[in-house]
Amino acid sequence: MSPRLTTGLGAFVDWRRVAVIAAVALPPFLVLPLLVGEFFVHILAIGAYYIVLAASWNMLAGFTGQFSLAQHGFAAVGAYGSGLLVYHLHTPLWVSIPAAVAMAAAGGLLLGLLVLRMRAIYLSIATWAFAETLRIFLGAAYDFTRGDLGLSVPSLYGHVRPIAYYYTFLGVAVLSLLLIHILLKSPVGYFMRAVRDDPMRAQSLAVDTTRVKLFAFVVSSAMAGLAGALYAHYVLTLTPSIVDFSEMARIIVMVVIGGMGSFVGPIIAAPAIYALNTWLAAWGEWSMVVFAAIVIIVMRAYPAGLSGLLAAAARLWRRRSKPSGTTAAV
Amino acid sequence: MIFSTELLIQTVISGLMVGVLYALMALGITFIYSIVKTINWAMGEFYMIGSYIQFVAVHFLLGPRWWWLAALISMAGTFLIGLLLEPILIKPMYSRPMQRRDDYATVVTIALLLLLRSLAVALGGPYQYRPESDLSVIWIGPLPQEGARVAASVCALLALAAFWIVIKKTWIGLALRAAAQNRIAVQTSGVDVYRLDAVAFAIGVALAGLAGALLAPLFMVFPTNGAVTSVKGFEIIVIGGLGSIPGALIGGLLLGLVESLGAAFISSPYQNVYGFLLVILILIVKPNGLFGERGREA
Repeated sequence: MSPRLTTGLGAFVDWRRVAVIAAVALPPFLVLPLLVGEFFVHILAIGAYYIVLAASWNMLAGFTGQFSLAQHGFAAVGAYGSGLLVYHLHTPLWVSIPAAVAMAAAGGLLLGLLVLRMRAIYLSIATWAFAETLRIFLGAAYDFTRGDLGLSVPSLYGHVRPIAYYYTFLGVAVLSLLLIHILLKSPVGYFMRAVRDDPMRAQSLAVDTTRVKLFAFVVSSAMAGLAGALYAHYVLTLTPSIVDFSEMARIIVMVVIGGMGSFVGPIIAAPAIYALNTWLAAWGEWSMVVFAAIVIIVMRAYPAGLSGLLAAAARLWRRRSKPSGTTAAV
Repeated sequence: MIFSTELLIQTVISGLMVGVLYALMALGITFIYSIVKTINWAMGEFYMIGSYIQFVAVHFLLGPRWWWLAALISMAGTFLIGLLLEPILIKPMYSRPMQRRDDYATVVTIALLLLLRSLAVALGGPYQYRPESDLSVIWIGPLPQEGARVAASVCALLALAAFWIVIKKTWIGLALRAAAQNRIAVQTSGVDVYRLDAVAFAIGVALAGLAGALLAPLFMVFPTNGAVTSVKGFEIIVIGGLGSIPGALIGGLLLGLVESLGAAFISSPYQNVYGFLLVILILIVKPNGLFGERGREA
């Protein structure tokens, strides 16, 4: 990327506010796994994995207006990229995981170069076709990927006690969120929103819209790739079902219920929905039916989602505590 | 791989026959897009509904002899479901003040996809069904072709002809063509454009439902059977050009041909991968598709 896109990175980040929020929000999550059972820690770890996917997709779809339908596809590129390197070439994990992230980023770059110049809908179509083709390919090339038999990959730490992985995923989630926050508060973040809200006007004001879209797409794909690679070395068996479209639908459900284009909403919604999903597993498919119906209702009745509710509550509370105070947007 | 002229001709014929079915799917997508200006991502799920109706009708009610009646019932059933769902799901996109219409429609149709797929698993289980077919092998010259495949492509051709007649010769077809060009002008002339949307959506999903019903004996009936076929529909849209009806038809035949040749002469497990390679090629060479125009942003 040219220096122009990333100049002034973090120029408007309120570091003190970030530090205060981290100091308040993080300790409970650091202590939590020590208090609950192993299964719950596992749920939390996977929840953090979904935070990375949901937040990175939200940066792309919610803030840049580019509806990729292959976030799960790039996570799978990361997972299978690292897994296949280890399986066939016996590379150490500290080589294979960064290589997998690079593969996901390169995939995003190539796909983006092909379609991001076109109307927005082309990105959705091309990414959808990419993800489904990837799924079919992973199943068909079974002598290379072991297909539905499952590709065995080694674990990250030589054991699978969830607590270590929980801290890993938590760390990755915090770093990703920090990066997304910095990006959104920099000039490039404002370009992203300009591209989303009025691409023509942005272009007329000399924003290189294609480059901004490409930047957001590559960063978001790389994050998904990292999350996917780490996920692979935690679950230990990869099958093409990780590129099932229901994974993408789940990410969309998380972001929409949390509030599209809100920074905080999807962060809260992702682990909550994953936990609910697991908890409701006894009802099987009916729980997905309910979630899908909730998404439709949210989109129809209250597009701001969970974060909109929170914001409204915060406004109400502020108004009550100091009646003369101005009601700033949250 | 043994190469022979007979094999080549047979491959071309079977590729074109499946291609007609893919074209049906792509036509549905592009038709809905040209009127409602949104992609219905749940297209594959209407294909799935069509195939389930076909299975229930053939297996429990009518028997394999009446497969064509079952296919008509499937088409009518998906048409009605589309007619009922459109006002609930898609209409708010236009009837309400909304900042980001495309996002609304994308999210809602993807939620519908998830809902219908999960509902199919919840109601019918994750099993594969297959409606019986008593159509015997049909010989085209010296070459055998599966009876169900020939029947499916003939019916698809009939459906395409019927579609053409409705669009070109009827009043509603005229109104739909007008709406594709300019929604506001249609509204100004006193046509209820919301009802046109519902009809267009229903026609589009009915084409998918018919494709599902016709392909049910060949490609099986299960909750995610629409996934592969709808991806082909979307690939054809890119190949032929978004919003172009000839593009959908030619693109469908081309994709069927490429797939079938690739499966016969390169490697058959990768049959469903060739389409994507074709898409990449088209995006490099002719990004707007074979018949696509730059098209105004609505």
